[in-house]
Parts: sequence; C-alpha cells; structure tokens
Amino acid sequence: MSLRQKLLLLFSFTVAAAVAAVAWTVLVRIRYVFEQRDQEETALFVSQFQREFQHRSAEVAAAVDRLAASEHARVMAFELVQSGDAAPYLTEAQTMAQDAQLDFLEIIGPDGNVVSSAQWPARFGYPEPAAAQAPQAAFLKRETLPDGSAELGLFAVRAIGGAEPSIRLVGGKKLDQSFLADLPVAPGMTVALYSDAGPGSDAASIPNAPANSSPFDPRHLVGASGDVPAAARYQGLIDAARNSGQQTSGILYLSQRREDSINATAIPLKNQAGQVLAVLTVAISRGGMVDAQQHIRAIACGVASGGILLAIAFSLWIAARVSRPIEELAHGAESVAAGNWDTRVPVRGRDEVSVLARSFNHMTDKLATQREQLVQSERVAAWRELARRLAHELKNPLFPLQLTVENLVRARALSPAEFDEVFRESTATLSAEIANLKTIIARFSDFSKMPKPELEHIDAKDVVERVRALYESAAANSDSNIRFEIDLTNAPMPLNVDPELLHRALSNLVLNAMDAMPAGGTLTISAHPQDDNIELRVADTGEGLTPEECERLFTPYYTTKQHGTGLGLAIVQSVVADHAGTIAVESRAGGGATFIITLPKATTA
Amino acid sequence: MRWTVLRRFATSCLIAALALPVAARTRPHYGGTLHVEIEGDPWQRPDGLARRLVFDGLTALDANGQVRPALAVDWSSDDNDHRWQFKLRPGVHFHDGTALTSVNVIASLTAACSVNCPWTSLRAVGSSVVFVGDSPMPDLPALLASDEFLIALTVTADGKTPNGNIGTGPFQLTGFNNGVLALAANETCWQGRPFVDAIEMRVHRAMRDQWLDLGVGHADIVEVPAEMLRQAQQQRLTVDVSPPVALLTLQVSDSGPLANPMLRSSIALAVDRATLFNVIFQKQGQVTASLLPQSLTGYSFLFPADRDLGKAHELKGGLSTPPLTLSTQGSGAMQLAAQRIALDLRDTGFNVQVVSANAHPDLILRKLPIDGAEPYAALELLLRGAGQTPPIIEPGLAALYKAEHELLDRHTLIPLLDLPRAYASGGRVRDLHLLSDGTPDLANVSIEDAP
Repeated sequence: MSLRQKLLLLFSFTVAAAVAAVAWTVLVRIRYVFEQRDQEETALFVSQFQREFQHRSAEVAAAVDRLAASEHARVMAFELVQSGDAAPYLTEAQTMAQDAQLDFLEIIGPDGNVVSSAQWPARFGYPEPAAAQAPQAAFLKRETLPDGSAELGLFAVRAIGGAEPSIRLVGGKKLDQSFLADLPVAPGMTVALYSDAGPGSDAASIPNAPANSSPFDPRHLVGASGDVPAAARYQGLIDAARNSGQQTSGILYLSQRREDSINATAIPLKNQAGQVLAVLTVAISRGGMVDAQQHIRAIACGVASGGILLAIAFSLWIAARVSRPIEELAHGAESVAAGNWDTRVPVRGRDEVSVLARSFNHMTDKLATQREQLVQSERVAAWRELARRLAHELKNPLFPLQLTVENLVRARALSPAEFDEVFRESTATLSAEIANLKTIIARFSDFSKMPKPELEHIDAKDVVERVRALYESAAANSDSNIRFEIDLTNAPMPLNVDPELLHRALSNLVLNAMDAMPAGGTLTISAHPQDDNIELRVADTGEGLTPEECERLFTPYYTTKQHGTGLGLAIVQSVVADHAGTIAVESRAGGGATFIITLPKATTA
Repeated sequence: MRWTVLRRFATSCLIAALALPVAARTRPHYGGTLHVEIEGDPWQRPDGLARRLVFDGLTALDANGQVRPALAVDWSSDDNDHRWQFKLRPGVHFHDGTALTSVNVIASLTAACSVNCPWTSLRAVGSSVVFVGDSPMPDLPALLASDEFLIALTVTADGKTPNGNIGTGPFQLTGFNNGVLALAANETCWQGRPFVDAIEMRVHRAMRDQWLDLGVGHADIVEVPAEMLRQAQQQRLTVDVSPPVALLTLQVSDSGPLANPMLRSSIALAVDRATLFNVIFQKQGQVTASLLPQSLTGYSFLFPADRDLGKAHELKGGLSTPPLTLSTQGSGAMQLAAQRIALDLRDTGFNVQVVSANAHPDLILRKLPIDGAEPYAALELLLRGAGQTPPIIEPGLAALYKAEHELLDRHTLIPLLDLPRAYASGGRVRDLHLLSDGTPDLANVSIEDAP
C-alpha cells in the first residue's frame, strides 16, 4: 500500500470517526431528550387520568346516591320488604338505570341476592358479593355480561334509605371507549384499555360457572377509537403489568419499521382487593424521535461523505507536498539500484523532504564521480595488467630472440660451417619464437575481435557431436590415453545460438580438459535439458582445481598453464554471456573439474 | 197521594233514563275502523292474527275448543277413520268472487301441506273433499281447524295465480303501508258481515308503544304478554285473558353435541321452571312438565316439574360439551327466559350462549300452540308445530299418557310453562271475546261510537 493510499485511508477514517462520534453523541442526546419528554408526558397523563378517574368515581357515587334517595326507590324498597316478593321488580333496574344514565345497576335484596339487574336481567336470585362490601367510595369492578363478555366499570354501592332490612343499589358506569375518549390526551399519545373476564370477575362468582382463563387476548385491548393496531405487540408489557401489579414501561415495535415504535407504559387498574382488573396503556409514538435520528444520520452520512471527499482532496494535496517527493526519491533509489547512477530527483522547498532530495542528488553525484574514478582506475589497472601480460608474454620469446641474435653475432667469428650450423639453429629458433609471438598476438587479437553472435536454431546434440568428432580422433591419434564419453539424452534440446561461437567455446573447454589430463583420463561431454534451460557439461578426471583457482578462473589473462594466455576461459565466458547463459565450475583437488554451461532453451516457435 | 204519584212518576222516568243507554249498549253498531297493534308478524303461524281474519278452515273451534262447521258443513268418516269426507258449504265465495269448490280446497291444502301431512291423498267428490290416510285420522276435523290448514285461493277461475292473499274470511286484505296492514270487511262473508268496516293492524309495534297508543286512544286493541298481565291489571286496563293456550318449551336437538340422551336429560332437570313462572312470567299460566295441560288430560301433575340440580349434575357426570347455542323466538320475556335458562344450565356445567339468530341452534326456546279441547288433536298439532312426527296413539287416556311419557323421555321437548294469551282493549271496543286459541274474535267486535 502506497503512502498516498495510507494517507487517504487515515484521513478518511479520521473524518468518518469524528463524524460518527458526533452523530452518536447527538443521537444519544436526542433519545435522552425524547425519553425525558415522554416520561414527563406520561406522568402528566397519569395524574390527569387519576383526576378523571376520581371525577368519574364521584359522578357514579352521586348518581347512585340520588337513585337511593329517590322517592321511587324508597317506595320500591318499602314494598319489596313488606311483600317479600321480588318478581314485580324484575325490570325495575333497567328503568332506573336508564333514568340515572348508568350503564350498570342492580337492586340487591335483603338476602344479598339480585332482585333486578339492568345489565343482566336474567341474573336475579344470584348473590352479588360487591353489595356486601358497601364502600363509600366508588370502586373498580369487572362485570360479566350475558354474552360471556366482561365490561370494566366504576361502581358504587348505596343502601336505599328507609327500608329495613336494607335494599342496596349497585350502580356503575363503563370504563370503555367513551371514557378513553374523554381523557386529555396529548398529541402523538394514544391510550388504550385492556380488560378481560379473568379470575375474580362476576362470572367466577357464579356457582359452577365455566372457568375463565385470562391469557392475553389482543381483541380485549380497545382504544378510544376502537381496535388498537398491532395489539398483540402489547402482550409482554401488559402481562408484566398484570403479573407484577406495577406500572411498567418499555419500547414496543409495532412493525418492522423503527418509526412505528412507541414508548409504552402499562398502568394496572386494581380493585379494592388489589387484583389487577385492567391495564391502561399509554403509548407515545417514537416516530418523531426516529425521524429526527434518521435526519441526523442522513446529515452525518452526508457530512462523512463530504469529509471523505475532502480527505481525498486533502490527501492528494498532501501527496503533492509530501508523498510525491518521497515517491520521486523512491523511484530515484530504484533507478540508482538499476544502475542509472546519474538519476536525480527534483528539489522543492526547504523542508526535510527537500533536504533528503538534495542529499539524494548529492549522493548520486558522488556515486557517479566515484564510479567514474573507479572505471578509470580499473581501466588503468587493466592496461597495466595488459601491459604486464604483454610484457610477460613478449618477454619470454624476446629473450630467446635476443640470445639467438647475440649468438648469431658471435657466430660470425666462427667458421662458416659452424656459422652455418649456428645460423641454421638460430633461424629455426627465431622462426619458432616469431611464430610464438604471432600466436600470442593472434590470441590477443581474437579476444579483442569477439564477433557478434549470429543465432541459429540448433540442437545441443549437434554441437556436442561436432566437438566429439573433432577431438576424439585427435585424442585417439595421440598417445595421451584420453577416453571420450558422451552423455546425451534422447529428448530434443533446442538452442538458439551461434553454432560457431558455441563450438569454439566447447572446443576451448575440451582442450583445457585434455591439457588437464597429461597422463590420460576420461573426458565426458554431456547435454541435458534442465527446466527451461539446456545444461552442457565438460568434465575431466585431472587433478582438479583449488577453490582459489576456481574463483579466479574466468579472470582474463589468468592461467594455470605454463604457456597459457589466460584468455581461453575468458572467451568461453564471453560467448556464454552473449547467449544469455551462465558458466560455472565444480572441482575439488584430485577429483577433476567440471565446467557447466547453462543456456536458455529455445522456444518451439 | 199526589206527591206519591209524582214520586213514582219521577222514579219511573229516572229508571227509564238509566235503562236507555244500557239498552243502547246491547245493540252493536256497524261501521268504523278498528285499530289493532301487535308486536309480531300478523301472517306468521301460529299466532298470525290476520290469517284468521282473511282465511277460514274447513272446520273451526268454538270458544270452548269444540269443533264446529266452517267451510265444511258436514263430515263423516269410515274405514276406521282412514277415510274422511267433508261436504263443502254451498254459496261460499273467495274475496275476488271465485266460488269455493272442492278443487280449490284441495289445491290450497296441497300447497299448505306437501310433506308430513296427516293424510295420504285428497280427492274431490262433487262438492265434497275426501281425505284418505294410511293410518287412522280420528282427529282430522280438529286438525283442519288449525292455522296450518286454512283455505286460501291458490289458482283463480281462469287458471292464474292470484295476486295477494285471498280467502273467504270476514275481512279481505286491502293494503300494507308504513307498517299498517289494512283489512276491509267482507260484505259477502258466508258467516255474515263483520261489524267494523275495516281494521288497521299496526305490526311490529313495541309493547310499550302499544300501551301508550291504547292510553291515548290511537289503538283499540293491543297485546298483553303474560309477564305484563299483572302490570296491566295494576294500570286498570280492560284485559281479556285466555286459558293456557301456549306451551313454553325448550326444544333440544338430538344431534350434534347433545346426541347423548343423558345430557338432554340433565338439561331437563337443570331448568328451574319455578323461577321462570314466579319472576319472569310473573306467576301467569302454570308450571308444567307435560306437553298437554292439566285441563285437557288431568294427568299433567304426574310429570315432576321441580328442578333437581343434583340429579342433573349426576347425569351430566364428567361429560364435556362444547359451547351450546340457545335461540328463541320473540323478545322481552322470551329473551329473558332464554338467558335465565342459560344461567340454569351453566350451574350444571353447560356453557350456553344465547344467540339472536342461528341456523341450527342446539336449543330453541319457543311457544307451541295448545289448540282445542281434544287432547289427541292438541298433541298432534303441538308436535306438528315443533316439527316432529306425531305418534299413532291408541284411544284412551292411558295410551295418551304413555305416548306423552315416551315423547318426554326423549328429552327433545322440555315443557316449561303453560301460558295464556291476553289482549287489552280500549273503551270504545264492544263484545271482544277470545277464541279458543287465545286470539281475539275481531269479526264480532263492534265499535261503540261508530256512525
């Protein structure tokens, strides 16, 4: 990953993290503020509900009070007590309830049994436990109706004055949708009432009545305008309030969408015995909060996106100021490493990077200068070595020539016969030494005139066979006692080489090997494919080379032979290098030497 | 002496003056429109008040429940009551002028009874109608007096279907507007023209409104349900009450959840008749556990009518039933009685819901008519009203008791109360009498201030 990319990532991450941190903080704060507001509204509603509840209670109590004190009720109670016959008053409760605008009314006889019931006329004769309590204040009660349903109501019990034993009235009003509609509800707030016919209801007080279980039934949750949407979602909250008897709050998700969630509070409504008869739910929509949060999230995403774009621009600018000089330095270093010693990087400004660039340029300058000096030194050294070799090579033949010439000069004083003999010997020597000089000069000339390879597509076997044919017969005709061995594979070994130069190189190696085995031995020439290369080996069984000799073997003018020029292996190395190959030597003292030429295999195309 | 003569003369004049209006009241006046209000449907059997005014039967029941001639003047049976021949009254015409013939009568009876008829075949023999049955039909004359077999014109003289309800009764239908059924006197009625010119019958009128209309003079005759009889008497209304003419009964399905006769028996024992009688029906009529009233058979008391909750529990045992449905015909006391019965059954462990309308309820609370003075005919009519096939009963009270006992042992009909019918009339209505089925004899009613 480049420095520019790192900078880009760093800036982007920094901007995004900063925006996310700010957005999260704002979201948490918004949620806190909304929840605070919801709690305050709920608390306000609860207090208003309690006031309304007390107001309703007072209304019910007053209505039943008025009924109990009415002349009609007094007369009815008197006649009822006197006659003991409740039958004529079977429908009396309905009439009285209608007049008093009560939803529930039961006339309870002296025996505590229902004389007349407005809400369940057929229930006459059954006991009404609520009448025995006779509390002064209104109370909550769940009233079972003929169809098996139950209604929650506020009830009051009053004795009709003047009748002894007392006749009681149990009257009440429903706590239903109309009650919910009368409650002061804040905007965004919905209230609902959950009640069912559970244990403790009137139905349970009827002997042998079918047992009512009270698992949560969403149909029993009724709002001010009717059914409550997604009522089943309230189950957990309502059950918690019913089971604990305590006010319970929580967040309810009415659908998969977060904006449909609500902050709901379940308020248990209890009777005087502490039984939970109903649960009032107050729900405040979290839609506003969710909208605000989504709005803030959208803003945060926008800001983060903009920040990341700014980060990209900033990183590009930073790159222009910081990373580009560093990249140029890196490229310059790579160029220097590739051998371009004259590489220079531009220097901008006065900062640390510019100092570094300036130092880099100074370094390359120094390196170029030192390289030039080194080349000049090496060239001088080479010339000196060449001169030394030339002097050494030429000195050997010149010394016999000098002696021969001086001998000829002295021989003039000899007899003509002796002179002739000396002259003949001297001229032979001179010719031999001059030929020796020519050979030396020719070798130097050959080394300096290495031709450019003319590549042909050949098989390595052909080269090996040609060398073997040339030198095997020569070895056989001499008394050197050298045995040739050829190790070739049948697989094709294509090479793209100059056949003459490769023949010349192999010939040099074969001659060196033959020179290395004056007492005879085995000379092995082999060729084998090796991955993408062809490996040619020339091995002898001579005395071998020391490690020092191996290290210097390919240095020009280095030779281990008494009359060698030291150019043979240099020529071989030059040929191999011109064919993009390598040459190496493996040897140990007394174990012979093996020269390995590795050439790239020619492609079939 | 002179004062004595004068005193006697004055006394005579005073007596004559007092006697004059009394004599005037004895002569009914023709004319006027009678205003009647009812809660139900005037065409619906068995209480269809208008049916009795528009249609006649081959026979009729007099006030004592005895069979008397109507459209048939004479009848005879042979072949051990397997064959009956009814001779039609001559000179009788339907309201549209069509003459009453045996063919018309057969067409009407065939239309009224296509299945489960008392007879097997009908045949016209001159001006007579011959009924032939596979089994003896000893009570056929009484059966033909029932509401089910009133004669209506089904095909006119020119072979067309008549437009409307056309009979031979004392009144003919003239219209129905705004809930008021208009009937006009049949001037050529075979039993003589009725006193009033017309009857306006307001239908589906709430009981409280009927009484209000009666109080302010907008109605001449209104209904008084049994449960309101005492209230009517307290309000000093002029009320005519019939003897028990309807059997309040709980009809129990013998299929579905109540296919087990033990459950049906448990239900029969769980119902508290005394509460229904004492409270809901305000001690009117009488508690009964038999199909026929005590006045007809004399053995009704042999059937125990007391509630036995322990036995009911014992019979139900651990048998569980799904929620049962109970429907009832009528409103007011009938609904209340249904709810009370549901409560009674709940005490025994039955879960019963009172439903307003249900195609196949498990229980039906209904009133069945007790018509006539003949117990066999009354039982057959009652069972036909309940949709059950009457059994063949040998003559004799013991056989009747045995048959009724067997019927009750099935517990598909649980008798509860024998109830009367009653009507309250206004001050200008004269000579109101109730027929044997408890309906008012409007054909013989006159209006006092009629022109």
